[in-house]
Amino acid sequence: MSERPMTSRSGAIRFHDAGIVYPNGVVGMKDLDLEIQPGEFVVIVGSSGAGKSTLLRAINGLNTLTSGRVEINGEALNTGSTRQLRRVRKNIGMIFQDFRLVKRLSVMSNVLIGRLAHVPAWRSMLGLWPREDREIAADALKRVGITDKAWVKASQLSGGQQQRVGIARALAQQPAIILADEPVASLDPVTTHQIMRDLVRINRELGITTLVNLHFLDLAREYGDRIIGLRFGELVYDGSARTVTDEDFRDIYGRDLTADDVVEDEAVEGGEGGGE
Amino acid sequence: MTAPKPPVSIDPLKRPGPPIGFGTMVTFVIGVLFFGSLAAIGFTPDRLIEVPAGVARVLSFFWPADMAYGWDRVLPAIVESIQIAWIGTIIAAILSLPLALIGSRVLFPRLARGVKLISATARAFPEILLAIYFVPIVGLGAFAGALAIGISSVGMLTKLGAEVVDSLDFGTVEAVEAAGGSRLLALRWAVLPAVLPEIVAHWLFRFELNIRASAVLGVVGAGGVGGVLLNTLRYRHFDKAAAVLILTILVVLLIDMLSGEIRRRIIRS
Amino acid sequence: MIPARPSPNWPLWIGVVGFLAAMTVWSAYGIGFSASELACNIAGGTRLLEESWPPDFGFLPRLAGPMMETVYIAIIGTVVGGILAIPVAVLAARNLTPNRPTWFVDRNFMNILRTLPDLFWAMLFATAVGFGPVAGALALTVFTVAVISKLYSESLESIDMGLPEAIRAAGGNWLQMIQFGALPQAMQQYVSYALYAFELNIRASVVLGLVGAGGIGMILETQRANFEYERVTMIILAVLVAVLIIEEISESIRKRLT
Repeated sequence: MSERPMTSRSGAIRFHDAGIVYPNGVVGMKDLDLEIQPGEFVVIVGSSGAGKSTLLRAINGLNTLTSGRVEINGEALNTGSTRQLRRVRKNIGMIFQDFRLVKRLSVMSNVLIGRLAHVPAWRSMLGLWPREDREIAADALKRVGITDKAWVKASQLSGGQQQRVGIARALAQQPAIILADEPVASLDPVTTHQIMRDLVRINRELGITTLVNLHFLDLAREYGDRIIGLRFGELVYDGSARTVTDEDFRDIYGRDLTADDVVEDEAVEGGEGGGE
Repeated sequence: MTAPKPPVSIDPLKRPGPPIGFGTMVTFVIGVLFFGSLAAIGFTPDRLIEVPAGVARVLSFFWPADMAYGWDRVLPAIVESIQIAWIGTIIAAILSLPLALIGSRVLFPRLARGVKLISATARAFPEILLAIYFVPIVGLGAFAGALAIGISSVGMLTKLGAEVVDSLDFGTVEAVEAAGGSRLLALRWAVLPAVLPEIVAHWLFRFELNIRASAVLGVVGAGGVGGVLLNTLRYRHFDKAAAVLILTILVVLLIDMLSGEIRRRIIRS
Repeated sequence: MIPARPSPNWPLWIGVVGFLAAMTVWSAYGIGFSASELACNIAGGTRLLEESWPPDFGFLPRLAGPMMETVYIAIIGTVVGGILAIPVAVLAARNLTPNRPTWFVDRNFMNILRTLPDLFWAMLFATAVGFGPVAGALALTVFTVAVISKLYSESLESIDMGLPEAIRAAGGNWLQMIQFGALPQAMQQYVSYALYAFELNIRASVVLGLVGAGGIGMILETQRANFEYERVTMIILAVLVAVLIIEEISESIRKRLT
């Protein structure tokens, strides 16, 4: 199959004085100024409740800013406009901790969900996917290495395979940006490394701006280019993954590090493939 | 000034709490309602002796059942009841599916309120009361029955369907919307595939109920086996009535078994 | 390369779709379903609707008595049926029944009770004991047993058998095991089923009168036969209001219990 351009290479993100206060008074984001260049691979760390998800979900409008603004490719996001929201989301793929596959549908159908915004609504309502879109979906499956599972029901896959389908669904959007919200938090250590490697590879091959929320510090250091640390919704660290120190992590977490903050099994190399 | 509090004595044989327990009170209230009702409808002790005698007397006339009449007249009427139930269920399924989807409180908080009102109203009408109206509108017969069954089933199917939708994990809906899909597309691709098996199982279950419902519609002239039973009893042809009962029981048992098996398979898939 | 899409199980699909389509066409034909007839009769229908509006409010006072009778019938049916349903349910619960033959007989008895609709029982009892509310109460008693016993036996099958077995081990007999070990565990479900049956019975008792088994349905039947549709509408409105009120009460009780 021919190499298809998977992205428009235009995934710049910029937060200006952005803030989110939830209706219950919890501060999810505070005075955030942040600029992410197209093609960057950014890992966001912080203890739970630090506002990692809030940040990602503000980029595709699943959360609405209560102050400031966020720009995607220079265009300010207005969550009040359903139309604009859909147009912006079309270019942003999202990967979830709990995979969020439609379990009773085949893997292929799940990946085609990534094409919904690209296909006329009447066609997708009837399931009459254009040939081109089916090829894009197949290509996305190939990139995560589970083409052989294309017609299997999503419920019959293992956790790692399901997350690959989740990645393929995001890829099928041919996005400029991928947001991965704790993509490995429900996976075992072996699969965790495989999925992280997939994400890095896709970022390198396709130049898709990738933001990954991670809980584990060793993963952040190993796979991140740039690390962003959040604490109570505030940006407390922004720097290269190569120079980040344990001291920095202690500051981000506001406590000493423990064994729970790393993936224990690191003796995993070359486990690429089906993951059965 | 403060007198020492008397020590709290616990009588091991006496249960703590109010002197009359909650259970006793409920029993008492139900008892009063029950005996009051008995007196109000004139159910005196002498009736108590009369009733079993009457039942026994009628039952003794039931045997032997006139099965020739059963095959000739009753079976076609039962078949008509099944047809009424089938068409009624199909009407209800078609009308209730979209209502159930937009009746989800989570996905459509505003629309859901309206849908709930519609379904509550539809449920409040027993089929037979609707049939009373449909018979003069579309004429005596099975068609009126099917419409009545269809309309009155919409309420329950909508309610159950909306409950299935609301029990869903809405993460997939968010995933579709995050990919730029509209709410409608989320219904089609995230909600429908997840809920359809349960909803179809509910349709089948309603079909089982509708067979029983359609069996009685004949009482108001809306076709089916109910009219046959009413006539045989009215003219005291107990052997023929027995044939109606035997065949109805057999057919309903058979359909319940088949339908139940299919439902189990659908849910398991 | 992506594998070819596995071809669906065509014989199964064609069989299912064909069966559904055939069943629908056959049924529609059998009951004389016709859109044209519906369209033609709509005119007559609107006339009927005009005749049935406004409801005859003057008729309302005459409904109070029969309406109360309807409630009485439902109460009696629920109480007697609810009590009788307990032994039927216990014997039909796989884990509590004393032996297999009893279980088998009781279970089939239960299923047969369930096959016959409420109005059939009403017709039978009206014939046996004469027209009137007593026949209605008896019919609803049977109907209640059918509804509650099935649900309750399923609840009983899912109780924790530790306590009943402990009672057995401590030398209790079968009856004591049921009374102290099994029934209390499913008490809450039982109450909620009983209330559910009461709601069904209120609905059912409204129409029992159509076959002469007492309650408000008897008036409904006379007015319908005389084409007094303003009165029919009045009765139906009254019934709806009553049913909704009683369901509301029943539901709030059920909510408080769970």
